[in-house]
Amino acid sequence: MSSSPAKESHITSYPKFIGRSLWLATEGSFAFYAWMTMLTALFLVGANAWANQVAGGMIGTNMTDQVSWGLYIANFTFMVGLAAGGVMMVIPAYLYHDRKMHDVVIIGELLAIAAIVMCLLFVVADLGRPDRFWHMIPGIGKFNWPISMLTWDVIVLNGYLVLNLHICGYLLYMRFLGRKPNPTWYIPFVMLSIVWAISIHTVTAFLYCGLGGRPFWNTALLAPRFLASAFVSGPAFIIVAMVLIKKLSGVAGLDHPIATLTKIIRVTILINLLMVASELFTEFYTGGSHVSAAKYLFFGLHGKTALVPWTWTAIGLNLTAALLFLWPGLLSFRWRPLLVAACCMAFVGAWIEKGMGLIIPGFIPSTLHEIVEYVPSQLEWKVTVGIWAFGLLVFTIAIKTALPTLKHPAEH
Amino acid sequence: MLRVANLLFAGVVCLAVAMIFVVVNRSGQRDDSRITHDALAEHDVVAKVAPIDSQADGTGQEFQPGSDAPRVSTTSATQHPIIIRKPSGPPRIELAGTDPQGRIGSVACSTCHHVRKPNLENKSPATLDEFHQGMTFNHGSIACYACHNPADSDALRLADGTKVAYENVMTLCSQCHGKQAESFAHGAHGGMNGHWDLTRGPQMKNNCIDCHDPHAPSYPKMIVGFKPKDRFNGPLSDDHHHEGAESHDDH
Amino acid sequence: MTTTEPTTNPSLPVLENFSRRAAVKAGFATLGAGAFAAAISPLRQAAKNTSAAEFMQTHYTELSPEQKADVLARLETETKEKYNAEVTIADDRPIPGTKFVYAINLSVCNGNGKCVEACHKENNHDRDTNQSYIRVIEMPKGTMDMEQGSTTYSGAVPKDDKFYLPVQCQQCDEPPCVDVCPVKATWKEEDGIVVVDYNWCIGCRYCEAACPYHARRFNWKKPEVPAKELNPDQSYLSNRIRPVGVVEKCTYCLHRTRRGKLPACLEACPTGARVFGNILDPNSNIRWILEHKRVYILKEELGTKPAFFYYFD
Repeated sequence: MSSSPAKESHITSYPKFIGRSLWLATEGSFAFYAWMTMLTALFLVGANAWANQVAGGMIGTNMTDQVSWGLYIANFTFMVGLAAGGVMMVIPAYLYHDRKMHDVVIIGELLAIAAIVMCLLFVVADLGRPDRFWHMIPGIGKFNWPISMLTWDVIVLNGYLVLNLHICGYLLYMRFLGRKPNPTWYIPFVMLSIVWAISIHTVTAFLYCGLGGRPFWNTALLAPRFLASAFVSGPAFIIVAMVLIKKLSGVAGLDHPIATLTKIIRVTILINLLMVASELFTEFYTGGSHVSAAKYLFFGLHGKTALVPWTWTAIGLNLTAALLFLWPGLLSFRWRPLLVAACCMAFVGAWIEKGMGLIIPGFIPSTLHEIVEYVPSQLEWKVTVGIWAFGLLVFTIAIKTALPTLKHPAEH
Repeated sequence: MLRVANLLFAGVVCLAVAMIFVVVNRSGQRDDSRITHDALAEHDVVAKVAPIDSQADGTGQEFQPGSDAPRVSTTSATQHPIIIRKPSGPPRIELAGTDPQGRIGSVACSTCHHVRKPNLENKSPATLDEFHQGMTFNHGSIACYACHNPADSDALRLADGTKVAYENVMTLCSQCHGKQAESFAHGAHGGMNGHWDLTRGPQMKNNCIDCHDPHAPSYPKMIVGFKPKDRFNGPLSDDHHHEGAESHDDH
Repeated sequence: MTTTEPTTNPSLPVLENFSRRAAVKAGFATLGAGAFAAAISPLRQAAKNTSAAEFMQTHYTELSPEQKADVLARLETETKEKYNAEVTIADDRPIPGTKFVYAINLSVCNGNGKCVEACHKENNHDRDTNQSYIRVIEMPKGTMDMEQGSTTYSGAVPKDDKFYLPVQCQQCDEPPCVDVCPVKATWKEEDGIVVVDYNWCIGCRYCEAACPYHARRFNWKKPEVPAKELNPDQSYLSNRIRPVGVVEKCTYCLHRTRRGKLPACLEACPTGARVFGNILDPNSNIRWILEHKRVYILKEELGTKPAFFYYFD
């Protein structure tokens, strides 16, 4: 952006852009204010619960030395998937030059921003000593890169956040200036973000599958499985979001992207089910002591069955959603509510499958084969709801900011 | 489309290179990952512990009578001893009543035994007419006088008839339990206290009879007294001050 | 909210009642910020427990001797303030030419749990939870499958059809827990001990997930130890009272073993099942065992190379 032809310099126009965005983001109907107030209230509940957790120690959670990660890391894993799922809009828009998708692709990128913010919050919530967060900052702290997969995750997540902030920020800013975005300033970043989206979920899977002591995670299929389920949950969320945006703010041109994403889910949900099935086949047909976590998950072990209802719910939701998506009629406009329902099922199914169905059973039975069950405590639920509310808050604000762009797509 | 494909290809190549770098770095790091603190070392100590030759030897002569003091291995001036606990002497029998002054008396074994003819065949307290009848004997099918000395009731005897003092009972045990004696000599049998590094302090080891009753040597059962309390796991032990059954140190 | 509306963009709707709306928005923003401050006010309590010096403390390996002395003095003072006990916190360094190795004779171990208790007392573990670095698994004879074992056994031991497998940190030569730590708060020292800098750990518990031996413990709450029960003989990397929210682990009692003494769990063992020593000394007990007994290690297939051996004889 050297030799800018703008009437005023970026130093003055950029703050104006920020202010304008904030103003736009806080304009809305009574329902909008009610929605935002509710999210803020939930977020405050979560913030308070987290502050109590820090003050009193993590004894307030139901995690133990046996099940040392719980609801927070489960949600973290899922949110990484949601962030990566946004790429399913970017690929058709930029790689296949789907014009109509291109007009609304920013929804996916904004979702990625909100989801990554939630990821970072979930990691912070899981830390025993959030006050020592600076130990992780390269330079002043000690960053165990490249050996620790967690440091890779920190890099790729923050990198993905910065990439998407840049892409969205640049496009919206150009829009604000009334100028045509310069492709050299964002197309390379978009392409990078496609690879990067794959990398965030791959690295997150590597966090778990590199641990030899946890046979339930120690499978090469974990990263592909993560990606497949991410490409279900991400598009599912975006479809629901787009249906709502269309209804609430009358953005036109969303039907085609919705159809495209529905077709994408139709494939990815089957791939995900196939991977789950082959994982289960390997586990159960082989047998042996490595199958005990899967046994615990699906049938209970030694009379302990806390996760059984969760996992069968997930299987039921995923299968139903898959059948619905396979039905061609789902694409028609009159079945829109059913599409939303199918998306919700796929979304919740993926959430359970990755969280309570993958992170938790990795710890049960423990490495000494003790069976210590885990059910999230009230405090954990509060913090989790608070972070979800904050994520939705960010997403709502971001969408509000982008609404003018969505309503009147520029010709680029 | 072609340009995009190139970009993707470049991305994949970069990822692959990064992964190879990690793998190489990781295997390299393993060799030098031990953080060195030589500069910080506060306790600079003579590095090498001199070999304890009595441990390297066989066990046969280790428990030979000959010195009143606990057996001490002294190969180096800086070496501290390995001290094996010993009984103070022959057992004494406490008398049932008190003498006219009200004192509880005790007598040596020989008080009775040197006027009685030893029954070399006897193997069980059950076949005795008097004395020792409540005693539990569960140590193979050896005769009393396999270990007790018929000539001197205040001493023991080896299989070849050699007299052994009660203090050196371990020599007697070692005749049959050579494997245990060998392990004992190398710290692989029997409890100990004190120092692993004999240049810094002594080591105290248990005697055979500290843990094994010579007449019924199998180790007794114990009660589990202390369990970590897991918040969500099975039966919890309610009181951590509760002690389990003590091992019988009181010989 | 003093931004003037840009008129350059025709696609944006014209806003009305600008200043009034701005005032209302600013009011709600202030309200929200105030509510947020109130919501996170419990953090003030947490901040009180952490001194500025603790917050700013650098990594153990980067402390200069003077800084280290300051840190140790500060920790002693803090223990005095918080636990009302006089303790000495030393900085025990590895003895050159030593590598510590442990062995347990499973033929002899009878599962009585004295080692578990001794560890609890020696290492100033939280009294409420009976925390300890050692867990003993009661295993049916004829299997090595821990799946069939139990850690919650009680009553008279040994049971006739069982053997007992005590598990603690194996001080692996290829420790997965060290690899995964994002901040290098845990590392392997020259004598083989894997240690944790309790003042550097951020409490992410990735090491707990990575350890195949359940060797690591997290301080879910502030450890409570009565002053008279506190072991005053402490070391920075070992049994000093741990802060809340960090991970800890067995150090083979380095505050004892680096001073030439035997570990507490070994001294407490009434059966003499435990053997400890320096594997670099060819005449050590541990070398004799490795050369003369058929030893095995736990979960050998994971390639962690434990410095902890089990044997039957």
